Amino acid sequence: MSTDLRNTRKVLFVKTGLDGHWRGPLLVTGALEEAGFDVMMLGMATPEETAAAASRDKPDLIGLNICGHIDVVKRTVAMLREQLPEVPIFAGGTVAPWAKKELEAIGVEVYPPGSKLTDIVAAAHRLTEG
Amino acid sequence: MSTSENKWRTVSNIPLKGAYGPEDIPDSHQEAMQAPPGAAPYMRGAYTEMYRGKPWRIFQLSGFGSPEEEGERIRFLLEHGETGFIMEHDRNTADHMYNVDHPEVLARKEDVGLTGAVIQSVRDYETVLNGIDLAKTYGHPGGGVVQHAPFALGCYWSVAKRRGLDLATLPGTGQSDFFLTYLGCVTKQQIPTDAGLRFNCDIIEFCAEHMKRWVPVSVAGYNGADSGLNAWQELGAVMANATEYLDEIKRRGNIPVEVAARSVGGMNFRVAMDFFEEIAKLRAARKMWHDLVSRRYGITDPKVKALRLHIVTAGSAMTYQQPLNNIARGTLMALASVLGGTQSLGVSGYDEALSIPSEHAHQMSLRIQQILQEETNVPAVADPLAGSYFVESLTAEVEEKAWAFFDEIQEQGGFLRALDSGWLHGKAAENQLAFQHRLESGEAELVGVTKYEDDETPFEMDGFRGQGGEWARANERLQAVRAERDGKRADTALKDVAAACRSDRNIMPAMLEACDAEVTVGEFGEVFRAAYGDWATPI
Repeated sequence: MSTDLRNTRKVLFVKTGLDGHWRGPLLVTGALEEAGFDVMMLGMATPEETAAAASRDKPDLIGLNICGHIDVVKRTVAMLREQLPEVPIFAGGTVAPWAKKELEAIGVEVYPPGSKLTDIVAAAHRLTEG
Repeated sequence: MSTSENKWRTVSNIPLKGAYGPEDIPDSHQEAMQAPPGAAPYMRGAYTEMYRGKPWRIFQLSGFGSPEEEGERIRFLLEHGETGFIMEHDRNTADHMYNVDHPEVLARKEDVGLTGAVIQSVRDYETVLNGIDLAKTYGHPGGGVVQHAPFALGCYWSVAKRRGLDLATLPGTGQSDFFLTYLGCVTKQQIPTDAGLRFNCDIIEFCAEHMKRWVPVSVAGYNGADSGLNAWQELGAVMANATEYLDEIKRRGNIPVEVAARSVGGMNFRVAMDFFEEIAKLRAARKMWHDLVSRRYGITDPKVKALRLHIVTAGSAMTYQQPLNNIARGTLMALASVLGGTQSLGVSGYDEALSIPSEHAHQMSLRIQQILQEETNVPAVADPLAGSYFVESLTAEVEEKAWAFFDEIQEQGGFLRALDSGWLHGKAAENQLAFQHRLESGEAELVGVTKYEDDETPFEMDGFRGQGGEWARANERLQAVRAERDGKRADTALKDVAAACRSDRNIMPAMLEACDAEVTVGEFGEVFRAAYGDWATPI
């Protein structure tokens, strides 16, 4: 795992639902920080709050935590794309296979349970390059 | 695969020898070993007869969508042999105590009803419970989250009263669990831990006086373990949590601590995949409880000193990849739970990592238990692993480590302060990260995830998909309650709840009246937030 501390790329991290399970998000944000990313943890935020934070903080990458359902996630993605069309978005959490396919179809990379932290960190590097 | 020494350890990092002998059992453990099941210190079982006397209760969490759908799923499970039921609630509304027209919920309308039924008033409880005989069925009305429990209990009990049932003989259990509320699933708004302790003590005292067959609260190490606490940390923390309740009951002096201990002595643990360590944990749990209540509180009643267990198999052990493998995992965890002497058991759905359980996954969770009960002869003999050099040695070691962790929590100022400061969250997070690193370095493996991952799954599984559109139906019900209830009665009752919150009197009588007067979950939430403010989340 990279520990390049010169990496100052910013990741905005959001829990999209009002579900307080924090195990997964904490592991992922911890790994991203260890890899030198500047993680801004917004906590449980509405689509509007997420879009506002994104346009204020101008992250290089947005991470969305999903707890089982994706309608709000899709609305969040649409609002983010309006504000910041170029910023890549990835997501993880409890995502049923059908939901994973739907999110991938709108350009969101999805990391379901069992994904490796090294793969998620590698994706963050790849998505924020250039 | 790594062949290092480190491989032969339990998941909680206890080193394992290749074989065990009599020298591995400490002298201090001999007395507990010699006592038969049903005799102090109960390490070998809460009851003499164990499953010959009473099979374990098959007890599954269930619910989604509308109250009608949730009731239908519960009745389906009861018809298929479930012997108790647990209601699941929509997290947006229940955990946070918001009505569906609260701004936080309005901003996420599409999410509503997908993880459990939206239940905003006693009317919704009546709908879910329609056709279920509450006098004969062991019910769990939800209220896992501490601030939600007085409402969940108040509504369930009101339904029973409306049916003319006597609360004194109503069977069932509440939860109001600190591990869930303040460790595992931290909500956006939650009353502080001290207020939560007050609610739980109120519930314990109310049941002691009026509802002798109801288990008022359930300490649920499950939620700590599934957040990352290891086996002995879960055990030590559970005892620290129980201590916090009993110390407070003793300080309040309203009921004998022995009466409270009788109800706190029904606990919920998680059983995960480290087979023998989990069995050792359950055996150690009973001995620790016996020692705790005898030494700290001077309790002598054998019924109080025998800890009763409810086990839920680890949801986090269920993999997203190759989900049918989870039927094997569920079976192994169920077997460990039974060999450890549980009184009731819920097996997590094989599609747990994908979504909330499908009807088929739910049915399999029942079938796994029924196969164990009917086909294996496992229930015939109590504590069948007793005397195994390995299991006895591991039981003693888990117990020793759990007491050390209990002491560490006391040094933090007790269980509540260890939650407030985030100390326990830190312990859980450390373990999660360590386990993840073990997986990613190849030191630990998960079949179908880190190894054998290329197998073809025999058929596609897509995960349960809710209907959607539940928000509008829930809002209609909410508006109907507001329009049709006796507004004056609801208003007076809610004001009385607010007054009870600000006084020392037990809140449950006021809650019962207000629930029966059709006060809604969000209205109670407003009152609680005004009275206590929000917990300062440490994560």
